[in-house]
Amino acid sequence: MPYKLSQMLDRELKKGSAELLILSLVEDQPRHGYDIGNLIEQRSKGRLRFNVASLYPLLYRLEKRGWIQGRWVEKAGQRRRRYYRLTAEGKKVLAAQRHSWREFVEAINRITGIEHA
Amino acid sequence: MPDWGREVRKRLARLHLDHEAEIVEELAQHLEDVYQRSLRAGATEAEAKNAALQELATDDLLQKEMRRSQTPFKESPVAGGPTNSNFVADLMHDLRYAARLQRKNPGFTIVAVIALALGIGANTAIFSVVNTILLRPLPYKDPERLVMVWEDATRHGYPRDTPAAANFVDWRDQNQVFEGMAAIYDTSFNLTGSGDPERLEGRSVSANMFSLLGVEPQIGRVFTAAEDQPGAQRVVLLSYALWQRRFGGDQGIVGQSLTLNGESYVVVGVMPARFQFPSSDDQVWVPIAFTQEDAGNRNRHYLQVLARLKPGVSLAQAQSEMSTIAARLQQQYPESNTDLGAAVQPLHEHLVGDIKPALLILLGAVGLVLLIACANVANLLLARAAVRQKEIAVRVALGARRWRLIRQFLTESVLLSTLGGLVGLAIAFGGLVLLKAFIPENISQTREISIDLRVLGFTFLVSIATGLIFGLAPAVQAARFNQIDTLKEGGRDAATGGAGKRLRGLLVMAEVAISLVLLIGAGLLINSFLRLRNVDPGFRADNLLTMRVVLPDVKYETMDRRSAFYTDLINRVQSLAGVRSAAVTTNLPLYRQGNSISIGIEGRPAPPPGQELIVVTRIVSPGYFDTMSIPLLQGRQLSEQDAKTTPRVVVISETMGRRYWPGEDVVGKRISLGRIRKPEDWFQVVGVVKDVRQFELTAEPKPQMYLTYRQAGFFDARDLVVKTDVEPASMAATVRNAVWELDKDQPVSNIQTMEEILADSIARQRFSMLLLAIFAAVALVLAGVGIYGVMSYSVAQRTHEIGIRMALGAQTGAVLKLAVGYGMKLVLAGLVIGLIAAFALTRVMSTLLFGVTATDPATFTLISLLLIAVAVIASYIPARRATRVNPIIALRYE
Repeated sequence: MPYKLSQMLDRELKKGSAELLILSLVEDQPRHGYDIGNLIEQRSKGRLRFNVASLYPLLYRLEKRGWIQGRWVEKAGQRRRRYYRLTAEGKKVLAAQRHSWREFVEAINRITGIEHA
Repeated sequence: MPDWGREVRKRLARLHLDHEAEIVEELAQHLEDVYQRSLRAGATEAEAKNAALQELATDDLLQKEMRRSQTPFKESPVAGGPTNSNFVADLMHDLRYAARLQRKNPGFTIVAVIALALGIGANTAIFSVVNTILLRPLPYKDPERLVMVWEDATRHGYPRDTPAAANFVDWRDQNQVFEGMAAIYDTSFNLTGSGDPERLEGRSVSANMFSLLGVEPQIGRVFTAAEDQPGAQRVVLLSYALWQRRFGGDQGIVGQSLTLNGESYVVVGVMPARFQFPSSDDQVWVPIAFTQEDAGNRNRHYLQVLARLKPGVSLAQAQSEMSTIAARLQQQYPESNTDLGAAVQPLHEHLVGDIKPALLILLGAVGLVLLIACANVANLLLARAAVRQKEIAVRVALGARRWRLIRQFLTESVLLSTLGGLVGLAIAFGGLVLLKAFIPENISQTREISIDLRVLGFTFLVSIATGLIFGLAPAVQAARFNQIDTLKEGGRDAATGGAGKRLRGLLVMAEVAISLVLLIGAGLLINSFLRLRNVDPGFRADNLLTMRVVLPDVKYETMDRRSAFYTDLINRVQSLAGVRSAAVTTNLPLYRQGNSISIGIEGRPAPPPGQELIVVTRIVSPGYFDTMSIPLLQGRQLSEQDAKTTPRVVVISETMGRRYWPGEDVVGKRISLGRIRKPEDWFQVVGVVKDVRQFELTAEPKPQMYLTYRQAGFFDARDLVVKTDVEPASMAATVRNAVWELDKDQPVSNIQTMEEILADSIARQRFSMLLLAIFAAVALVLAGVGIYGVMSYSVAQRTHEIGIRMALGAQTGAVLKLAVGYGMKLVLAGLVIGLIAAFALTRVMSTLLFGVTATDPATFTLISLLLIAVAVIASYIPARRATRVNPIIALRYE
């Protein structure tokens, strides 16, 4: 890691942002769990990683809230996989969370920026 | 290939999931993908399996996470965010957050809760007294229709005088407004027979009194109309307490006979435990049974009259009807009834009237104490709000709305005040025990004082209201919070800036103003009480033991026998070691009882009806004046030589002399009691003594006279008073035994020292004074702490500035002046407001004052100085600390 986040901040940030990450990844196309996990790891250049034990419960939670929907898809020559897509409500939530996140990051930047000035 | 399904299932074992098979399949698939990828990357099978299993992390993580995903929908994690506005969910969230906050700052929480608990507890305690005495309906049927009817003898200074029997009979028979009227008078009984002889307080009552009140006996029955006739069989009703204490709650008591005043009475019933009428002292009731002669007497005014309004009849209608009847009686009986009206008074007012103003003032006072506590807690919260600005900044940045922030803050303050209310309730329970000990016993319903549902409701409302009041300032302050300004101030306390400082200053001013009002109120009462204590009662109360020895008519039929008994008793008691002298009297001073009779003066025409010369009369033994240390001003005292056979003599009070023989030498003047029939009926004035406060310390003495028991031939001495050389209470048993040596069946009651009687006579004043003084003291402490807190805070904020000043060579004195000056400015402003408020408010307590006016300048001045002194100390301590600051450290403070 190029710099060290304290363990706690790491955990808190991850918890706060995980929903947003997942919703973003299934926005343009349905994806299965393994795919989502890999994408998070790749796109964050390995800084963010979700293991099975935390990724799937989160997916089920989002599904339960009606923000994403999972469906079994069978493709020739492969075992069936469960693909998740964003629901209409999920779209609204994603928009709101993006907005919040942006404001939050700005606020943090402004405060921390001045504190370090 | 490993069995991934098994691995997953193992870790889900204790969950019962809806779609377990699908979940297992999905997760197994993922693990398989990881496994395959590892193999492709060149790992061994074992390494690949390991990598896959690591996805499941610790053994219980999956189970924990899955369980969480099954729980219902939870709120967005950012409090105050714009996404959700579910009221209940928000409230729950705010509450949880507030609770966490309180746990994190136990010191703050404890201080705030204690301040609030004191305020709320005091309010609860006082309210429970007000509730019981003023608000709770009397424990009788339709109590609002019950009234007392009095003779209105305003002319003689008695606007509510006890009616004469003949007037009662006429009222009862002529009125159309009452369902019924009942007559009552004090009677006491010597209970003899089984066990020690005992003196019982009781009442003779009309048979219908119980049905008028609408009460049923616990066992047995009440009186019949036939029993309320002269010559009927003697019957008695017992109080529950007497039944339990003396007869062990014997169910078979009804029908048994008791010996009261030497006569046999049949018990017909026992009243319920809660029943009391008219007073809580009453232990027995007997029928009043007017004789023909009683029923025709218009000159002995001794009854209390209870009546029940007919449904739909108003108090005013009843009053007007009774006035009409009274006017008719005036015409009919000018001799006795001239200037005699009738006054109707609600029973509730009669029973609690006197204490009402004091209770309402106390309720107001505790309310003010609570306000001061609120101001203190508000100040604490303001200071804390300042510390929490980063938190607020983040919320505002996230789009939290103003109302949502205010609500969060109010939830916190209401949580605090509710905690305060709970602790306060405990304080109230304890406080009530103390209160009951202080509250004068003669107030109706005192025993019933308790915390009931209404009190709990009151406490709850007060707690919530309190939280809203003290939470409002910090909440508004927080919501007004301007992000940009705060950020500009470098993340430091915005509340040190204009608005916060102003708010804090206002709170201090309010505290000072309110506590000044309370202190002045308390000061006036203390002042009154001291004056009351210094009133010369006309006698010396020290080393006096008193007891009541009432001789039963049956056993001591003649006056001679009575005189002989008292003479023997006095001699016997005086021979006891430790006794200086002893005497008897009809009524001791300050008992609020006693006889007055009208007199004639030799050589003057009889005064017209309505202008009779009424004199407070005491029948005493000759040693009474020495025993009581009542100074003789002129002439001589009554003497042992004044007997039945010698000329009749009387000793009068200075006021009587001055009023009836202004500027004349009164010794040798002659007076008559009632109408003179024989020349020897004249009583000659032989001496003048100092005025004695016979009824209460606050009342100016009326004309008084003393006759010797050997000559009076009427009234009955009953109180024994003994001057001792030793602690009077220590002689009680010895003196009582002296009575029993004379007559083993003779009850002795009301054993008290004169000092106790004196103290009891001002118990109400002491009660109001003590409570208000306690509240004022609490207010003073709270205000002092409040000023200290604000000053400490202000000084701490200015440490930097003070450091610079000191570094530039400012003298300690100048810095002190600067810091104390700010505090004093606030205090003086509060003082001015408080003085104006006190000026307006203390008038409401003028009825409680004695010897001082409600705007007594000395009290106002002294109290203001006291408050200033406290304020100076409270601001000086933090200021002093500021001057000790090392400039180098102060400058580094940034």
